[in-house]
Amino acid sequence: MKAVKSLRYVVLAVLSAIWLAPVYLLIVNAIRPVEEYDGTENWTPPHGFGLFTNIAQAWERADLGPSIGSTVLYSVLGPLIAVVLGAMAGFAITVLRLRHGFAWFIVVFGGTVLPMQMLLVPLFLGYAGGGIYDSQVGLVLIYTTISVPLAALMMRNFFSGISYSLFEAAIMDGASIPRVFGQIYLPMARPALIAVFILQFTFTWNDLLLGLSLSRSDNVRPVMTSLSSLQSAYAGATVPVVLAGALIVSLPTVLVFLLTQRFFTRGLTLSQI
Amino acid sequence: MMQLDYGRARPRGAHRGSAVQRSTRWWAPGFVAPSVLLVAVLLYLPFLWSVITSFTDSDGSQSDWVGLANYGRLFSDPALLTAIRNTLFWVIGTVVLPVGLGLLIAMLTYNIKGGQYFRLPFLLPYALSGTGTAVVWGFVLMNGGAASSFLEALHAPGADSLWLQSSPLNTIVLILASTWQMIGVNVLIFVVGLQAIPTEPLEAATLDGANAWQRFRLVIWPLLRPLTAVAIGLALVAGLKTFDIVWIVTQGGPGRTSETLAVTMYRDSFVAGDYGYGSAVAVLLTLVTGIASVLYLRQQLSPKRGFDVDGGGK
Repeated sequence: MKAVKSLRYVVLAVLSAIWLAPVYLLIVNAIRPVEEYDGTENWTPPHGFGLFTNIAQAWERADLGPSIGSTVLYSVLGPLIAVVLGAMAGFAITVLRLRHGFAWFIVVFGGTVLPMQMLLVPLFLGYAGGGIYDSQVGLVLIYTTISVPLAALMMRNFFSGISYSLFEAAIMDGASIPRVFGQIYLPMARPALIAVFILQFTFTWNDLLLGLSLSRSDNVRPVMTSLSSLQSAYAGATVPVVLAGALIVSLPTVLVFLLTQRFFTRGLTLSQI
Repeated sequence: MMQLDYGRARPRGAHRGSAVQRSTRWWAPGFVAPSVLLVAVLLYLPFLWSVITSFTDSDGSQSDWVGLANYGRLFSDPALLTAIRNTLFWVIGTVVLPVGLGLLIAMLTYNIKGGQYFRLPFLLPYALSGTGTAVVWGFVLMNGGAASSFLEALHAPGADSLWLQSSPLNTIVLILASTWQMIGVNVLIFVVGLQAIPTEPLEAATLDGANAWQRFRLVIWPLLRPLTAVAIGLALVAGLKTFDIVWIVTQGGPGRTSETLAVTMYRDSFVAGDYGYGSAVAVLLTLVTGIASVLYLRQQLSPKRGFDVDGGGK
């Protein structure tokens, strides 16, 4: 029994080392000053400390400042609107007992089944025709829409666990429907709303494909698109600069994830059909 | 559907015509309308548009109806056949590796002291974006990069491999790189599942003299089935849609050998400007995804299943 236990720790230690190695390489080489980097000694700790210079270089080359600003806008506003809309849909279906509610739910949720690739060309042409290609409004719109189906699913699951008599009592007391929703159901759903928001925030922040297809200018395109352009211009930007760029644009989601792990878990539980 | 809908438990007509029903009737459609509208205009409409475009030779500015010509081209296009093969590799790889290893890590860190800290190294990459992962691994797998110098230090074979230059090696190493990232979500899913398992059957099995492997195979595994189904379903779809890591590390190259269907579609549409053909590839990808999901769901929903661990702990 004891041997089994220690074997468990050995296996874990080996796997952990493998999993942490790329993280180590990322950090060490993002810190390495550009002059010190020659492409051969990737594993050795750096002698100098060039992290801030590298970040500054990446920042300037890929024009990360405005791009990060826009991405904050997309990944906060999009999921925020989606969570409220999804909660409204879930509320209508489970509490207000919308006629053919389940069919409408399938219509909304079915949006997630379509591969994004299928939407890119029409969205690009449609956005170009409608004058919202390469605009912040256009990107907020699509990130909101992409987040709606999962939000509707999770909020429907949450609201279906709440007794109907609560709703009846509120209506008997003379509360209007918007008030019941805004002042009773929405506050009650706060943990679920936060879980959905965090999942969608991470998803939006990490998106590459939509940003690549629907934006072009430095101040509109989201960070992952900027990072990919920094990477493909490999000839221009040296390795430590690209890695420093990757580190800095990944930091927000890594922090959010580590600080809110329990919400992630809750989100996963709520997203079962 | 796993949770009880308490409201529905009572006879449906009970409220019909009551004050509560009358006051809600007009509000309900208004509450779903925004969601339905957004999804219809920005997801379903483009979807239909793509289907129609796949029957044309659209280059963005003008288009003529060409019938099934694009679909005919699909199966004589060597780049597409490579993409189909690679996508198949990706599906198998992402279903087997991240899900299998995720289960292993969840089991190893379950019920041990400091389990949540032992899990951390595996959860960390999951928080990283696909793009970040691609940048890191593009660096690790460079010619003479960190992977090669590591093998060299060990005097292991393969130190002089050009990881990204030949097929199918480039696809295989990218699948491993993606496993590094995707394992996290599976660990989380299985940890949720393990925590929801009641202790009684495990204790009973131990009393009956079952060893660790028997306890896993006969008690834990059947109880985890609903969550395994979720994990495999997610991995299946993710594998089929693989794009970010391939696009950033190899751009599908060299010579289009590491392209997946999603990359082929993107390249044909946005790089070559051949929207008609790109849309046909997208339709193919959608069909494959749809068929795989239906087959998978049907197999999952077939009557012979284990006892349900309802929804995970609350």
